[in-house]
Amino acid sequence: MRKVRANDRFTDAMNLPDVPLLALLRQRMSWLNDRQNLLSQNVANADTPGYAARDLKAIDFESELRGQSSGFSGGLATTDPRHIAVSAGGSLQAQDAALTETETSSTGNSVSLEEEMIKVADTQAQYQAAANLYSKAIGMMRTAIGGP
Amino acid sequence: MDLATSMAVAASGMRAQTNRMRVISENIANANSTSATPNGEPYRRKIATMQSDFDRELGATMVQPGDPIPDQSEFRMQYDPGNPAADKSGYVKLPNVNPLVEIMDMREAQRSYEADLTVMEASKTMLARTVDLLKR
Repeated sequence: MRKVRANDRFTDAMNLPDVPLLALLRQRMSWLNDRQNLLSQNVANADTPGYAARDLKAIDFESELRGQSSGFSGGLATTDPRHIAVSAGGSLQAQDAALTETETSSTGNSVSLEEEMIKVADTQAQYQAAANLYSKAIGMMRTAIGGP
Repeated sequence: MDLATSMAVAASGMRAQTNRMRVISENIANANSTSATPNGEPYRRKIATMQSDFDRELGATMVQPGDPIPDQSEFRMQYDPGNPAADKSGYVKLPNVNPLVEIMDMREAQRSYEADLTVMEASKTMLARTVDLLKR
């Protein structure tokens, strides 16, 4: 009985997804993942009549990060009514998709391939940055515990 | 909703563009196909179609190539009395294919295909970066 409780405390302290920075990075990667998904749908439907291009609403990750360093309670802090409440581990759903404002062609398609390509490249770079930061954070933690 | 889904969506886009290319090549190849009998219809130009189609399993909007529809515009007429397809006044109906339009369409299909390919590459790189987190 006692042993189990000790174990519980151990997991509480060491659960990697609960480390604020890692939780935020995971959130960021998940968001970029969803965005990439939407962008691929836009590009695939670039010639489909009547298709409207969509994109995810941008999240202010910087203020989320600031909110995290001052006190973390598991989820993302909502310090403004316009913030989207996100619980720890949850991901942003495609409901957050907004129609992009681009010109619509005569077939009713509003996909601009150039714009989508820029967004794809951007998403890829941001994802790479987040993934690098993630492994860097893990590496720092490993240094702290004196691992190889 | 993961990166594999976005690759599947890009693949569906590439399939649709491939289908479009097939229809375009049919049109170009048959640009001079006339009827073998007098007053017969020559080759009628086809138009490739595609619809967006929501895939419930993947939760994403895929592209579905549709059946090609015949172009209802008028045939070109050419005076050629010696042709077996010529009517009484010596005119032959030629296909309503304009090679310029087809080439333009082909370029567009090619461009869309390349865009799909770029998205796929990007998704693949992102996936590889995620797998890289396992290293070290």
